[in-house]
Amino acid sequence: MDKVFRILLTFFFHQLKAPRGKMTTRRLIRVFTLTIVFLMASNLIERIPTGINTSLAQGFGAGYGPELVVQPPTRKFANSDAHYAWLLEEAQGGTNHSLESVPRWDGLWETAGNTHMQLFLDGYGFGGTVKEGVLTPAYEAAYRERWRQQVEEGQVRYDRLTHCEPAGMPRWLLEPYTHEFINLPDESWFINDFANGVRRIYIGENHSNLYGTHSWHGDTIGFWDNEKLITHTKYLLPADFTRWSPMTSNQFEVVETWELKDYDGLPRLEVQVSFYDSFAFVEPLHAIYAFKPATGLMAAGHRPQHWECDDSSNSYLDENGMTNFHLPGEEGFKDPRGQTLFPDLPGQSRDPIYNTTLQNQSK
Amino acid sequence: MKSKRLMAVWKVSAFWLTVIGLSDMAFAHHSFSMFDRSTEQVVTAKVVRWTFNNPHAWLYVSALADDGTETLWSFESAAPPQLIGRGITGNTFKPGDELTLMFCPLKDNRPGGALGWVKMPDGTFLSTNDGGCDGSANNISLWEERLASGVYLWQRG
Repeated sequence: MDKVFRILLTFFFHQLKAPRGKMTTRRLIRVFTLTIVFLMASNLIERIPTGINTSLAQGFGAGYGPELVVQPPTRKFANSDAHYAWLLEEAQGGTNHSLESVPRWDGLWETAGNTHMQLFLDGYGFGGTVKEGVLTPAYEAAYRERWRQQVEEGQVRYDRLTHCEPAGMPRWLLEPYTHEFINLPDESWFINDFANGVRRIYIGENHSNLYGTHSWHGDTIGFWDNEKLITHTKYLLPADFTRWSPMTSNQFEVVETWELKDYDGLPRLEVQVSFYDSFAFVEPLHAIYAFKPATGLMAAGHRPQHWECDDSSNSYLDENGMTNFHLPGEEGFKDPRGQTLFPDLPGQSRDPIYNTTLQNQSK
Repeated sequence: MKSKRLMAVWKVSAFWLTVIGLSDMAFAHHSFSMFDRSTEQVVTAKVVRWTFNNPHAWLYVSALADDGTETLWSFESAAPPQLIGRGITGNTFKPGDELTLMFCPLKDNRPGGALGWVKMPDGTFLSTNDGGCDGSANNISLWEERLASGVYLWQRG
């Protein structure tokens, strides 16, 4: 990395000095661009323990460890069932782990980048444009409008999570703030504290859908292939990748391969993901998501709490289709530290330590 | 020639600013479209409540206007897990504390906004922001200079 910096620095000063004479437009642009690149690099570099900085290209939390590389399956499948069945066959039915041998991914984890935006955009950031022919026409048109809002207005106007919809899949994969991965021989529990998104993975089982409908995290089965966990998720509700990414349909299905990697002492939990959606995607799509230990939060002693929303979020979709807030004193305001339904009983305040109130504050 | 050069510089600036802008796509469960992020305003006020709850912490303060009236202001901060990572907890601001804070106002001019940073009584600054306002160390440095010059309102661009 030092070498890259030295080269950048040399080139930068060369541009400033040479050639003799006038500062041409091209030189001006070159110097300006290099200045920005240099500033960005120097700003980001301290956050990078090792490897290539890919934070701008590879989503939030990227830049930890080497660049994320997608490994699509070596053959095409008609659907996610066929893909999962093939992986199971390749693993000769999977590895039976005991409580002693099952891989442990203990602790708190946070996102360490992903490649999902590269599936849908040419170019990175607000300069990117929606790729043609990746999404089906209806989904592409819907995404173009969403991306237009992000680029032209600086924000997508409204996020479905605002009214407390769960992130669901695939959004579970990139939402903050902490993820926990608890592996047992017969079941794994993957927990995201954001909106309390819990995925249960039933090892060595077949799919089941007793509810007769789809749900936010669907039904996930899986098997171990030595240290890798392969999962298959079906029966998902329509959702999205995030608010500035495309929507998914009720036919969205996922095959995932989870593996804990180590890069010179840097643990990174990686998941190669194949997305199938006959309504939304022209072809199945493949991406990688990653997680790194949430060392800062663990050092601070963070213990994830129940993620409130229904009783604590005051954001809503207003009559103009924009996101807005109810403030104290306004109709619709919800006070997460107010009283319960039984205010006459002693001890019913939700603010037992500071006992504050927001009433009668404006004079 | 001069205008051509300026246009070229502008185009390059716009490109890089948009690239940098990606890092501004904060994670919150809602859009930040209700905030005027081009305006940053500083106010000194008394803490009424620090609601350190998910999905966002909110700081409610009482500010005294020149005419002697008090107004309850509501400022949205980041989510508790984000703030804990910055050393801010549910006990950082207590009722009655007098704080100086910077915020980006609601576009509809109601008394509220997105919290940028908070200056504690001991003079230290805390980054309390989510994506609705800039509470970065860089912006705090700029604001330290502005405050020293008696500037309390800043409009970008």
